[in-house]
Amino acid sequence: MAIAKAERLMNLALCLMNTTRPLSKRELRASIEAYREMEGGSEEAFNRMFERDKDDLRELGLIIETAESLDDEVGYLARRDRNRLPEVALDAEEAAALGLAARVWQQARLAEAASGALHKLRAAGVPFETEGAGSLGALEPHIPVHEAAFEPLMLAARDRRPVTFDYRKATAARPEQRHVEPWALECWRGHWYLAGWDRDRKAGRVFRLSRITGRVRTGSGKFTADVPDHVDVRETVARWGGEGATATARIRLRRGAGYPLRAKALDLRPVDAEWDELEIPYGRGLDARLVEFGPDVVVLAPAELRADVVDRLRAVAQGPTSEPAKG
Amino acid sequence: MANAIDQTRRMLSLVTYLRERPGARISDVARAFGISEAELIGDLDVLPMCGTSFRGGDLLDIDTDGERIWWHNVDDVAQPLRLAADEATALLVAARAVATLPGLREGDRQALLRATAKLEAAAGEAARGSARLSVTFEAEGSVFADVDRAIAERRRLRISYYSPGRDAVTEREVDPIRLFTVGHTYFEAWCRLSEDRRTFRLDRVAEIELLDEPADPPPVELRDLSQGLVQPSADDPEVVLEVGPAGRWVAEYYDHDHAEELPQGGLRITLRAADPLGLRRLALRLGADGRVVAPPELAASARQAAEAALAGYSEQREP
Repeated sequence: MAIAKAERLMNLALCLMNTTRPLSKRELRASIEAYREMEGGSEEAFNRMFERDKDDLRELGLIIETAESLDDEVGYLARRDRNRLPEVALDAEEAAALGLAARVWQQARLAEAASGALHKLRAAGVPFETEGAGSLGALEPHIPVHEAAFEPLMLAARDRRPVTFDYRKATAARPEQRHVEPWALECWRGHWYLAGWDRDRKAGRVFRLSRITGRVRTGSGKFTADVPDHVDVRETVARWGGEGATATARIRLRRGAGYPLRAKALDLRPVDAEWDELEIPYGRGLDARLVEFGPDVVVLAPAELRADVVDRLRAVAQGPTSEPAKG
Repeated sequence: MANAIDQTRRMLSLVTYLRERPGARISDVARAFGISEAELIGDLDVLPMCGTSFRGGDLLDIDTDGERIWWHNVDDVAQPLRLAADEATALLVAARAVATLPGLREGDRQALLRATAKLEAAAGEAARGSARLSVTFEAEGSVFADVDRAIAERRRLRISYYSPGRDAVTEREVDPIRLFTVGHTYFEAWCRLSEDRRTFRLDRVAEIELLDEPADPPPVELRDLSQGLVQPSADDPEVVLEVGPAGRWVAEYYDHDHAEELPQGGLRITLRAADPLGLRRLALRLGADGRVVAPPELAASARQAAEAALAGYSEQREP
């Protein structure tokens, strides 16, 4: 029976951690049962397996160095001093808070990584309560991750590798291929965004993960543009959403209607028994938001906003046409 | 076999953990690692097959009598391992996000911030990439504080709540059950107005007042939120929308049964809604970017609303 991968990885990890001199591939192959078992297998198959195993252990945090071994071959070792977790002195309260925070991930890879981190800390003596105990006050925070693009983008941002994906802009009929150097991912209001350098447009761009269609392919090259010190995804997204507007609009609003407009109004005064007049921030997408209120809103100014709203209302009033919806 | 990696990760921590705890109970260790006892026994079957060093080294002499775990040749093979980049990132990003929650008790927040700083220091280089991932929870501070307090003190709340579907603010008394955050922050409560369980989004609470009356929600089973907030019932009427490319956002914001691609980049979206007329605002908002295929009442209602709105423009000249 083939030896399970976990057993092979454990043996390799322990071997590399407990040697004081670099061990050559040959020595490792001779000393680890799972590699010896491959006796009949080709050198190439062993090499591939060995490289993969080393990568897997590095993913788990092991620093594996290469140096010349005794017989002038490339040798490997994982120095104890470099692989030791420095002392982490958390008191019970700190440990409890951290333990609860670790549970917010709903994404498999990060949930596993967070609990892996807790295991290491626990093994090192951090006094975590056992699972299931305690709570963050009355709150249950969750970080939702539904987008398949998340994991490959997270890894590419981590390793600073360029990516290629098909992206459909909010108003575009078809997706377009984009070549991006991913800087950072941010979750805001429950949606994930990617900020990065768009190689074709030669500018920083923000992408919404749910608009990425198909697979994310990770390239092997390096970044070509500088990564900014500070990446502000939220500001860009807020601008898309019409926040941070500098202009204002004047509207009439039926009394009792349109609470969200009232909540944001800069000025509000009653006109008559039925209507109020409001001054509200005018940013991107305001026309679409106002149309939602139907006959309870009348735009007074500016004229372009008034015209946009009337156009939208006409489109609905005319009802379904034989024309398919256009972009 | 992604599982082998997780198992290796766990076993490396397990040996360090067992070193300090001779005769540890199977049940305690399984609980500490958040795994079943069967999984732990699986790990304990593998460990004695692992050598501790190169050539001729001993195998880990770890065994169990089914209740306790013994390690007979303990040595210093099992030092605590440094954190991997993903581990540090997962923990730090989560901790930073949670620390910004307005509803967190101040003591917990301070503890979390201290823990985060210590963790950053201990993770060293592995923590570097954690700035490439960030999460902000939205929670309306003052409303949150009142709901949180009402839950802690088991008191009733009076709220003015905005329902976007009806574009109306209604006043009601509610007995809060729990607060949770999925992008936005919500609270679940027993609504005395509808005599039913309701979910309220904090940023739609126009006014809130903590009452002296005790909360008395009937016992309810908490829903599993991982399946999404809105769990429409199969009996809800079907709504079918056809949108052009500019209306594709609907599929991102509305839970739907399915969305079919249309030629020219559009979508045909089928969803369920308890009250389809509540989607009138959506139909209005879509304008030329989409149309309501079904039910016809919804299409008619949007059309009438648009006509009435246009009448307002012909009466009301620019002053």
